[in-house]
Amino acid sequence: MKSGMRWVGYGLALAAVVLSVILATRFGRDPGLVESPLIGQPAPEFTLPSLDGEETVSLTDLRGDVVVVNFFASWCLECRLEHPDLVASSDTFGPTGVTFVQIGYQERPQDSSAWLDDVGRSDHTLYLHDPGSRTAIAYGVFGIPETFFIDPDGTVVGKIIGEADALTIGATIDAIKRGERPGQSVTGNTQQRPDS
Amino acid sequence: MSERTRNLIYGGLIVALIAVVGFLIATNPTEADRVSRLGASIMCPVCQGEAIIHSPSEMAREMMDLIEERVGQGATDQQIIDELTASYGQGILLDPPVSGPTLILWLAPAIALVAGIGAIVWWRRHPSDPGDPTAAPAGRTRTAVTALILIGSAAAVLVAVTSFLQDRDETALGVADLQVEDLDEVSNQTLEAVIAANLDHPQISGMRLALADRYREEGDYRSAFPHYFAVVESETSDAGQRVAALAGLAWITWDGNGEADTALGLLDRALEIQPGSVPVRFLEGRILHCSGQSDRSERVLSDLLQEPSLTVEWKQIVSDELAAVEAREVCA
Repeated sequence: MKSGMRWVGYGLALAAVVLSVILATRFGRDPGLVESPLIGQPAPEFTLPSLDGEETVSLTDLRGDVVVVNFFASWCLECRLEHPDLVASSDTFGPTGVTFVQIGYQERPQDSSAWLDDVGRSDHTLYLHDPGSRTAIAYGVFGIPETFFIDPDGTVVGKIIGEADALTIGATIDAIKRGERPGQSVTGNTQQRPDS
Repeated sequence: MSERTRNLIYGGLIVALIAVVGFLIATNPTEADRVSRLGASIMCPVCQGEAIIHSPSEMAREMMDLIEERVGQGATDQQIIDELTASYGQGILLDPPVSGPTLILWLAPAIALVAGIGAIVWWRRHPSDPGDPTAAPAGRTRTAVTALILIGSAAAVLVAVTSFLQDRDETALGVADLQVEDLDEVSNQTLEAVIAANLDHPQISGMRLALADRYREEGDYRSAFPHYFAVVESETSDAGQRVAALAGLAWITWDGNGEADTALGLLDRALEIQPGSVPVRFLEGRILHCSGQSDRSERVLSDLLQEPSLTVEWKQIVSDELAAVEAREVCA
């Protein structure tokens, strides 16, 4: 009996080791970092109001352009860090068939607008409000900033998770213009709303 | 009919009625039931392993609103799940699908149960002491069991590690394509955007110079000019960068506008920063040659040729230019 119990103990110990290995490989993995299922798929359509509410913009209206869709918020530190690069990229690429769309994420449009007044805007960027986060949900946003790249045919071909710098944004657009599919890149952390 | 029989019939009818009502409720859930059930099966994307129905986050609440709206619009449960997994992937489901790689998660408990029962049965049939069914198996069989456990454990570890590494590879997919290791692959527009976004960066002069040189080689002097000028003016530019920018400015001033004196003045400024600079002195000789000042060009190039530090390559370049000047050839 004693010997039998010892073998059962060995078995349990080994099972525990196996379980630990499996769990150790799973814990700590951020589910937001998995490859977006949207890459290679038609971009989810949206029709959203501008931050001032004076006009609406549909993704279908932008067909034929490379479209860069960025989700941002005034409470997001990484968004503040990447903002000058987004503005500069939009100023540079805006006149050449690339449209930047920045969508306020989980905040009132007046808060997004006040923040943009502070950090600056590009004349070529469309700044939009996303009531009920429907577009953010359609794009599978886990946290911000997240930036999606849509080719002229309306297919999602790239995604940057985290702070996007001008070099990465530009290199991604260059690749799309060459007909390549850049895929997903993780450049840094993302944030959720502080009260979530 | 006895009272006992009547009571039994009544009791049976009540039980049957409850069963029918329960069945109807179970098979015809209200819209609220469906919303709750779906909300309990979807993981909140901004939380850790929590269903959206239980999460206080705004994102979870908005996803619940979306589900409620879709149910109200007549969407089936599967259509709603398909919509959310199309955006977030299968990982958004708290109960993984009973297919593909997650099938093992569903089968594992049953396999463990069968294996456990099998082990107990085997254990009881192979006692070390035939008279004592609870005693441990002995000798060779014991060794065989040990080996089986070890092999099984090793296989499980191997599967876990392989699966982990595969997942890591999938996560990294596409990242390498975005890494910019060679600026030659980057467009002028991208460099413009990087410069515009980093005007105050202490090392931006190097990128400006590279872009200006690229524009100059493409013959786009109008685009090259502001970058050369900014490098010359920037306090963060080093001496070499300033000299290179002045040389670039000198060339496009001569070649673009035909202003030889201005170009030579810019080269003089460069020589004040780096006296004796070989590329600057060569450029001076070349602009003099091209602007028809052959005698001065000859002097500058001859002096440069006497420079002991001149490399073999530069010696060849200067000699060729000097020969062209002496032959009074038209500047190429």
